[in-house]
Amino acid sequence: MLMLIKSVFEWVNEFPSSIAIRESIYVYPAILTTHIVGMCVFAGLVIMMDLRLLGFGNNSTSISQIQRRLFPWQMVGMAISAVSGLVLVYTQPMRFYPNVFFWIKTVMMLVAGANVVAFHYGAYRSVADWDTQVKTPLGARVSGVVSIVLWGLVIMSGRLIAYNWFQ
Amino acid sequence: MMLSFFEWMGNLAFSKALGASVWQFALIQAIHLVFLAVFAGAVLIVDLRLMGRTLTDRPVSQVARDAQPWLIGGFLGLLITGVPQMMQNAIREYYSIFFWIKMGFMALALIFTFTLRRQVTLAGGGATAVTFQTKVVGLVSIALWAMVAIPARLIGLFS
Repeated sequence: MLMLIKSVFEWVNEFPSSIAIRESIYVYPAILTTHIVGMCVFAGLVIMMDLRLLGFGNNSTSISQIQRRLFPWQMVGMAISAVSGLVLVYTQPMRFYPNVFFWIKTVMMLVAGANVVAFHYGAYRSVADWDTQVKTPLGARVSGVVSIVLWGLVIMSGRLIAYNWFQ
Repeated sequence: MMLSFFEWMGNLAFSKALGASVWQFALIQAIHLVFLAVFAGAVLIVDLRLMGRTLTDRPVSQVARDAQPWLIGGFLGLLITGVPQMMQNAIREYYSIFFWIKMGFMALALIFTFTLRRQVTLAGGGATAVTFQTKVVGLVSIALWAMVAIPARLIGLFS
């Protein structure tokens, strides 16, 4: 499996378009900056939702309203950061492959995604009973904390990819 | 005069100590981005509301009041993690055009946020109306803060 992943990264590394972007002075910084802007929209609004789940912010708005109305914007942010993030990997696959922070970030994103699914098919199903309450059920609060911690670690490990420690 | 201030800042024992540890500096950079996300969320939820793009059935003033502690908290977090980075790289920052663009827009964005935007968000009472004025204020706020964040990323890439 690991060998397969490595050979995919090595294969992409030789694509002419990957090499072209890698060697351009301006395209890489532009994509990296776009990635940060997407991150701000996505993580920023996810955190606003998490704070509501924890009763630490946006408490005058009901949870279902926050969820429903912020969701489209969270998706816009996710689309921007996902596309720009994939392009970043596409342009320098062999820089990302041996980088431990890149893999930590990838795993954290998967776990954070699983947390979203668990919340929607778990605690959120009974939202009608606690929609306007500041103090939400334990399951919802756990999801909120897990989400903030995981997305925080995703952002931090994303920044640390710049350092080639532990390689 | 400005240059000598930046030289003095870069030569402080605190700045030198930060520079000596790559770990410490990298962690501060990483935490700075987490505060950026918190701050951006608190700005966006209100600006999108001002533009009538989210939570339109909630009064602007309520959305803004709810977001305010995170707006201020996020900004303080950015300041606490941003100033040491500036001190450690004082001379690099001084010669970076992007650093000065960031600082200029930060001054504008702060003034705008705590004067006009504050007035518009808190003035409406329980009103939920989206007007031309609220749309412009939301859009200008997003544009100003984007002009702080974007050059910030470019300081390290072009120096």
